[in-house]
Amino acid sequence: MIDATFPLPGSAGIEALVLAMVRAMTQSTGVEGSDGSAASISSDVEDVRRSQQGDAEAYRRLVDRHQDHVARILWRFSRDRGVHEELVQDVFVEAYLGLSRYRGTAPFEHWLARIATRVGYRYWKERARQRRTEPFDVQEWDRVTQSEDASQTLEPDEAADVLHRVFEQLAPRDRLVLTLRYLEQCDVVETARRTGWTKTMVKVQTMRARNRLRKLLEHSPMELI
Amino acid sequence: MRWEQKIERLAARAREERPPRVDVTNSVLQMLTAGPVQPLTVAERFWMWLAAASSAIAVPAAVAAFLLYARSTGPLNEIAEAISWAIQ
Repeated sequence: MIDATFPLPGSAGIEALVLAMVRAMTQSTGVEGSDGSAASISSDVEDVRRSQQGDAEAYRRLVDRHQDHVARILWRFSRDRGVHEELVQDVFVEAYLGLSRYRGTAPFEHWLARIATRVGYRYWKERARQRRTEPFDVQEWDRVTQSEDASQTLEPDEAADVLHRVFEQLAPRDRLVLTLRYLEQCDVVETARRTGWTKTMVKVQTMRARNRLRKLLEHSPMELI
Repeated sequence: MRWEQKIERLAARAREERPPRVDVTNSVLQMLTAGPVQPLTVAERFWMWLAAASSAIAVPAAVAAFLLYARSTGPLNEIAEAISWAIQ
């Protein structure tokens, strides 16, 4: 059985005060998170405060509440179930260690999304350094996209798999920006928030990544016709 | 169909995918209670930074000392010392 407490991630005095203020604000203004409930945000704030004081049960509730959201984000970064689960774990461990830096100015799930993006990106960079990229046959790209409805006849997991392998041919930075744009449907502001880049950098990086992707796909004979 | 339209159609289809369910609650709490991932204490941070600063100072000091030593034991220095000895 796991202990009910674990070591404090950092000084919690001021943070607790800030979190209490945010909780009071969210309760009074009815601010809602993307999951649609002010109560959820309020529970998060309370559980974050308790976790900062070393309450393991509070952190357990936070992990329970947000692991599906984090798993969904990280499924874009690795489609290997074992690796995927490890990445989800890493996010929550990293989140706990940085809990003293969470100011409560944004919903907890947004803060987690940023950490998840960072963990996934780091995994891609590590793989790229080890040159562990799976080769992609452009003829397969032609096969799945040759007719207008071909992509619609694919199962969602097949479509995701094809995109994953196409993007894998690009550098991690390009891959990140394209994944956020096409799969996560993030706009420039959201991409900047998730990556920690400036908006200008996001725009420049998106343009470069799109050019590289176009060049990659134009090697396909079907595209040249 | 342009390449980007194809990507967008595939992405739209891919977004319908349901990721596998994971339950990492127990493993995360076990990792956190196990200890090795505990954050550094203030004292540990202090010693870490002190060690880093000492190394940063020690390396250039060692290089400078070697250069000075090499200069003071060169043949030119020996000739100069011999001349000054002869003059005396």
